[in-house]
Parts: sequence; C-alpha cells; structure tokens
Amino acid sequence: MISTGNDIVALKAINVARTKQQNFYSKIITETEKALYDEQFSDRLPFEQFVWLAWSVKESVFKYLQRVNPNLVFSPSKIKLAKLVAPVAGNASNFEGRDFNSETVYRGVFDISPHTFYSRTIITDDFIFSVVNHTNNFEKVMWGIKKIESPDADDQSKAVRLFALTMLNTFFPNAELEIDKNKHSCPIILKDEIEIPVPISLTHHDHWVGYSFQL
Amino acid sequence: MTREETLNELKKVIAPYTVNKEMLAGINDQTDLIRDLKINSANLVDIIIDAEAKYDIEIDYDSADRMTNVGSCLDVITEKINQR
Repeated sequence: MISTGNDIVALKAINVARTKQQNFYSKIITETEKALYDEQFSDRLPFEQFVWLAWSVKESVFKYLQRVNPNLVFSPSKIKLAKLVAPVAGNASNFEGRDFNSETVYRGVFDISPHTFYSRTIITDDFIFSVVNHTNNFEKVMWGIKKIESPDADDQSKAVRLFALTMLNTFFPNAELEIDKNKHSCPIILKDEIEIPVPISLTHHDHWVGYSFQL
Repeated sequence: MTREETLNELKKVIAPYTVNKEMLAGINDQTDLIRDLKINSANLVDIIIDAEAKYDIEIDYDSADRMTNVGSCLDVITEKINQR
C-alpha cells in the first residue's frame, strides 16, 4: 500500500481557548491520548498544540488511506496515538526536502486497525505540519511547507499546486506535469495527461500550504 | 422543528466557516462541507461544537463522523433533537 498523507494547521488561525475546552478536544483526542499528554508532554508542549498535532497526524492518516479506500470516513477517535517522541534539538529550520531530520521533529506511531502508521511533525510558532508513512522510513518522501500571501481557497489551491509542481519538475525535467483530482477528490499527478504512480497529498490552512509525495 | 427550519439554523452555524456565501444560500442535502463550501477540515469540529450549542444536543464520535455533507448533518441533528 503506497500512498502519502499530510496536513498543516496554521496556529494563528486556531482558537486556543476553544481547543482547551473538553467538549472540543474530546472530538479529536481520546482519554488515553489526553493521559499520555499529561504524563509525558505537559511540561514541553502547550496542550492546544498537542491537540492539533494529533489532528494533523490523524487527518494525514485519513488522507493516506482514503486514496486506497475512497469510502473511508474520517474518524479521529479510531486513529490512536500509540507513541510520540519529542525532538531533542529545537525547532526545524528547513521547510522543504526529502526525509526529515529526526532530531527536530516529533516522531509518532498511530494505529488504525489493522494498520500502523508512522508520523513526522514539525511545530513552529506559525504552524503544525505532519506527514505519515506506512513504514518508519521516510527516505522516499518529499515534502514542503510554504507561506502564501492570500488565504482565499482558490489562491491556496493554485499556490500549493505550483509549489509541489516546482519540486516535481526536478524529478521529471522534460515532462508536462499537472496536478488534478481523481473522481474521489484525491490529488493525482498527470504526466502528458496520463496519471503516474506517484501519490501526492496537498494541504492548506490560512496562509500556509504544504505537500508530500512518495517517490 | 421542520427539516427546513433546521436547515436555516444550520446555515447560520456554517456561515462563519465558509466564504462561499452564494453556495451557502443554496445548499441542499448533497452539498459537501469541504468540497463544495470550501470549509477547512480544521473547522469541522467547530461546526459540530456550534451545532451542539445551537440545538442543545450532544453529538457523539460516531455521529460526528457522519457529518460530511448537509444532509447527514441534518439527519444527525434531527436524531439528537428527537432523543432529548
């Protein structure tokens, strides 16, 4: 099962007070995940960031699986955080590339029966960005994050496609590439108008866009 | 509350989270919250919480998962109102 999934949350666009309300966060994280936060992360990560980290990974898992199973329903409570390891060397400063520097990202393991997913999450003052994979090896995963001028939905859509295509063109230098959506609304890459087996995932929120694709 | 009355109230719940006001005015059961109304997925929980407050209901995990288009939102809200 080769796919990819990512998600970005713009931290300036979230409602911090609301996120901390039990009736809100309980729609995203389970009691077990709340307990894990209280035990292991409450001294290093603001609670609202933990909630949105969980959201971004769970949304990424959904996007990953939806490509394989288009009828899948997004159900945050059924995607369960099994393990989360905090970065040891401060914030990430690189916002585009292949694989991740494991010292500057949160590394997670999430289960949704019968699957296990591995996550990488970058947290800055501006955003939380996650990518998931079916193995704990991200060497074939390309990803990128970019700030854009306009948060208008059409502008976000155009900007993230242009951003991803710029990177994709380095791998297919002489090809006419295009990003479209299949009949299930999953993004696909067309090369000379024919879909190629390179799964891609796009995300945008407020002034931030991101992509991941699997080589 | 009739389905049409519930729909009119639901429009008010959704309004803060979409800039697609023309589409919002003409929504029907098939209107998809993300694809058609361009609502960011991060705001779906806001809509559920606002609906809980607006209709004085509690929406459980499984019901919340179903709320992807206008028709399923109305079904869930009607179910929960009837269970009060």
